[in-house]
Amino acid sequence: MSKKQRSRYSLGYLISQAFKSLFRNGMMTVASVAVLMSCLTVMGSFALLVYNIDYNLDQLGSLNEVVVYCDTELTREQVEKIEIRVRLMDNVNEESVKLVTKEEVLIEERQKYSEFTDLFDQMDQSGVNPYPDTIIVQYEDNNKVPALQMELEQIEGVHKVQCRADLAKSIESLKNSIIFIFMWFLAILFLVSVFVIINTIKLAVYSRRQEISIMRYVGATRWFITTPFVIEGVVIGIFSSALAFGIEYFIYGAVYNTVSLNYGMVSIVPFADLQTYILAGFAIVGVITGIIGTSISLSKHLKA
Amino acid sequence: MIEFKNVCKKYPNGTLALDDVSLTINDGEFVFIVGESGAGKSTMLKTLFREEKISAGSLIVDGYDLKKIRNRKIPYYRRNLGIVFQDFRLFPNKTVFENVAFAMRAIGVPTKDINLRVPTILSIVNLQDKAKSFPSQLSGGEQQRVALARALANNPSIIIADEPTGNIDPKLSLEIMNLLIKIHKHGKTVIVVTHEKNFVDYFQQRVITIKDGKVVDDKVGGMFDE
Repeated sequence: MSKKQRSRYSLGYLISQAFKSLFRNGMMTVASVAVLMSCLTVMGSFALLVYNIDYNLDQLGSLNEVVVYCDTELTREQVEKIEIRVRLMDNVNEESVKLVTKEEVLIEERQKYSEFTDLFDQMDQSGVNPYPDTIIVQYEDNNKVPALQMELEQIEGVHKVQCRADLAKSIESLKNSIIFIFMWFLAILFLVSVFVIINTIKLAVYSRRQEISIMRYVGATRWFITTPFVIEGVVIGIFSSALAFGIEYFIYGAVYNTVSLNYGMVSIVPFADLQTYILAGFAIVGVITGIIGTSISLSKHLKA
Repeated sequence: MIEFKNVCKKYPNGTLALDDVSLTINDGEFVFIVGESGAGKSTMLKTLFREEKISAGSLIVDGYDLKKIRNRKIPYYRRNLGIVFQDFRLFPNKTVFENVAFAMRAIGVPTKDINLRVPTILSIVNLQDKAKSFPSQLSGGEQQRVALARALANNPSIIIADEPTGNIDPKLSLEIMNLLIKIHKHGKTVIVVTHEKNFVDYFQQRVITIKDGKVVDDKVGGMFDE
């Protein structure tokens, strides 16, 4: 029998042994799958939470708007001239330029502060509208904002230019801090999960120490003893990942629906956009911890 | 051939289990190793199947130097041994056939050879009718015969039996001892650690007596001296 034939024969046998013992040691298999699945679900949920926080803060940070307040005494014609001039400026997204008239502002404010109806009625009676015409501009390059702001302020009839570049910077810095802290939490959670998973596998291997000792005494090589256990680890890892993915799908779906309906200002990334990464992450973590856990646990029983 | 030369075994807790043991067991010999509990008999066997490494001296078995042997070579060395334990150590969820076949599978014997050889071995230990039974369906004596069959599966040159009748009904113990004698007559070296004075005295083989880790007596045709 050639060496190649022998190893092919053995591998087929070892794979079949791995699947048989998964069923023969049913309770330990179920326990390992349950622990691994739970750890993956918790880790996955936390990672998704971190991702969505990052996504929302990213959106806030990219509010690339400049608000131009015109002098209140300007006529509509003068305001429209300013609007045309703004459209032609460098670093301005021409299509985004929007004029909000003082009348529109008044209506918006009336709706916003409905409890102060009397105040707005008085304004109507006196015919005085204190709000300025406003031009909202979206810029293209964050680095050229100071120049744009200066240019806008120099236009005659412009009362004030409000720029959110500072806010964007603050949000960016806040985002980095939050993500830094959450990534540490995620790393700790990962380590705790790996520890729990490895201990569960250790327990499973310990319950089969006699089986391992029999293999050693009949002259089985380390490869022959280890391979079925590693295959079992891989199968448990894949199975747990699939279950964790299913659970994550339902949990995320429920959270997505609730948040979308009740908290319009919060954006949740659709599951479909992330499912490949989640599945790959689960499979990698599940399989790798399965293999590492099995190898560490076995090494204790295979000293010689 | 097995050659102990000034072998010492000291455990990490300081216990000196083997103290300057020197002896030779030639190919095809039948040897009883006797002694009180804690005398060092089991340690002697453990050094033989390289479960324990000797602390000093030299131990050569069939050309393998067990003090210097590399870990990856140990499985190949163990294939020259057939080991039988007091507690049988069978796979409870494998049939008699599978238990015996396992030893062959572990060293890569093809299925068709296994299917030919296992029934032959089972007939040597008179278990040809129990091939499909599980260990839990067998008596203690039958389970020990399965363990013996497994020990014989790869045609080893040395059979090591640690208290092989310790867990068996006395009536069935003689059957196991007779089987070991039968195996010995087929040219195997057989080493049996036992407490059974009757058998040692009855079979009149070489008897090595261990006390406090030392060989205190070594006689061919010897008796169990208490």
